[in-house]
Amino acid sequence: MSLLCRLTVNIIGTLLRILPMPCPTGVFKIGNPDTTSPVLLTGNYRLTVHRVRRALRGTDCYLLVANSRGINVWCAATGGLLTNHDVISVLKTSGVHERVNHRRVILPQLAAAGVMSGTIHEKTGWRVIWGPVYARDIPAFLSADFKKTRDMSRVNFLWDQRLEMASAWAFPISLVAALLLWGFWPEALWPAVCLIWGTSMMIFLAFPFYAHRLNRGGKRIGFVFFDFGQGALQLFVWGIALLGILFYSVLSGEFTWAATPRWLLLTFILVLVLSIDLTGSTPVFKSGLHEDRYLKVTIDETRCKGIGFCESVCPRDCYELAGKGQTVSMPPAARCVQCGACIVQCPADALFFTHPSGKILDPETVRRFKLNLMGKRLK
Amino acid sequence: MKILESAPNRYDLGIRLLTWGRLDAAYDRLASHIGEGQEVLDMGCGTGALTLRAARRGAKVKGIDINPQMLEIARTRIREEKLHGQVALHERGVAELDGEASALYSVVMSGLCLSELSTSEQTFTLGQVYRILKPGGLLLIADEVQPFSLLKRGAHHLMRFPLIILTYLLTQTTTRAVKGIEERIVDAGFLIEGARRSNLESFVELIAVKPQEERP
Repeated sequence: MSLLCRLTVNIIGTLLRILPMPCPTGVFKIGNPDTTSPVLLTGNYRLTVHRVRRALRGTDCYLLVANSRGINVWCAATGGLLTNHDVISVLKTSGVHERVNHRRVILPQLAAAGVMSGTIHEKTGWRVIWGPVYARDIPAFLSADFKKTRDMSRVNFLWDQRLEMASAWAFPISLVAALLLWGFWPEALWPAVCLIWGTSMMIFLAFPFYAHRLNRGGKRIGFVFFDFGQGALQLFVWGIALLGILFYSVLSGEFTWAATPRWLLLTFILVLVLSIDLTGSTPVFKSGLHEDRYLKVTIDETRCKGIGFCESVCPRDCYELAGKGQTVSMPPAARCVQCGACIVQCPADALFFTHPSGKILDPETVRRFKLNLMGKRLK
Repeated sequence: MKILESAPNRYDLGIRLLTWGRLDAAYDRLASHIGEGQEVLDMGCGTGALTLRAARRGAKVKGIDINPQMLEIARTRIREEKLHGQVALHERGVAELDGEASALYSVVMSGLCLSELSTSEQTFTLGQVYRILKPGGLLLIADEVQPFSLLKRGAHHLMRFPLIILTYLLTQTTTRAVKGIEERIVDAGFLIEGARRSNLESFVELIAVKPQEERP
């Protein structure tokens, strides 16, 4: 694929990241695969497929693209849009079973929140192997005979991903803001667009500096009656944005007291919109907009048989298995992002969600409805 | 932002908008081919629009769909009309039709289901439907299709654009028009008994029959 094409897919894909972007489903050859070549599966989000193919350059294998409604694997799986049915369908209807003589399919680990390995095996005869979280680790995973290192199973939020999320928010918001301001306040158009990109970059690139202060509960910090991340952080960012605008207006000689209230309001709205789902835009926090961030994964120790599926599918490395036949524990439970993968996969039904009100969401409900109905069901 | 909310409770409204409200009339006409006591399969039964119509006519209906939330709505409706004795609903996709017995059904229905499938899924499905239908059995289809003429195709896209946006906002789903549906049905071995296209040729009601004698 030419450099130009690669750049186009990546740039457009990044700028429009928050929208679904479907691409064709089915089976695709990578390199020169034969009947013993590995079979990998991913969702039909264009950017993902593009990156998986790129990561697989030089590898001979088959890539199955399942229908995830044009949404990335993790969001689709936790939201009930990449399900057993989609995986069963591509395994049965793409003709891949005629191309290989084995029945092993490698699924991205993040699909574990929505796809049940047991059901896939029972209905298709294919055995599911949970691959790494990131496509870039696939070649190492394949050459290590399908063994994952701990790092391969973990999500992180490195600078390149943060840059991507910052652009993904800044682009559509600056587009809408530009259209509105063009009609109502044309002279503020370019300063506002710069402000949006600058603020978005600042919020996401500075993430490691304040991430430890973002909390998952609902604690108040100091005199601010909000969570940090849902008030204090925004106030801080708003302050910086205002300073920037003040700097610009004084330097450009356009400072007037009359325009000040309008700038105050505009910057306030922009900061609020940009950080509306800050935590949900990261893979290391639960979305702040959904009720299900209050859920807690609970272990029923009488049911746990120490099988350890939870440990192998947890993208946040929350589980510890003391030894074979022992029960698991979750010492770093605070890291949990409530994706539900462990609950969905546990063959002993030993894990479930509990709400602070005491309400329990049993494994069957999580498997059937994923997370998209849970917010509603809790109310 | 994570698009987690799928919206079955708004699905009916969204789809009605997208099909200009002609869906109900089309479903009524298709269901009129169903007789009492017949074994009927509804592929992609969704919230139960076709399933209910068939059950009201006294057929024994099996409805399959991959969306558990839509099935919940269908279940409630069927209970409300006290038709649960005749209807069985399963969370199952068309890919699992290979688990059905051969020559079991008199009628297989599909309302806005084929347009949700990829080309290879459609081929697989039509092949399986041919197998599970009795000789002389009917395949009833109502779906969005691509208009034949280029001009109408253009007009169709223009008119659909605002509707696609609206439907997308309501349901986060959209439908894709099926290409060359008649040909593919004939390729699968069926004979087309009746076809009715909308003025813009973009919506089709099809009645196809599995011939009494096996294809050579």
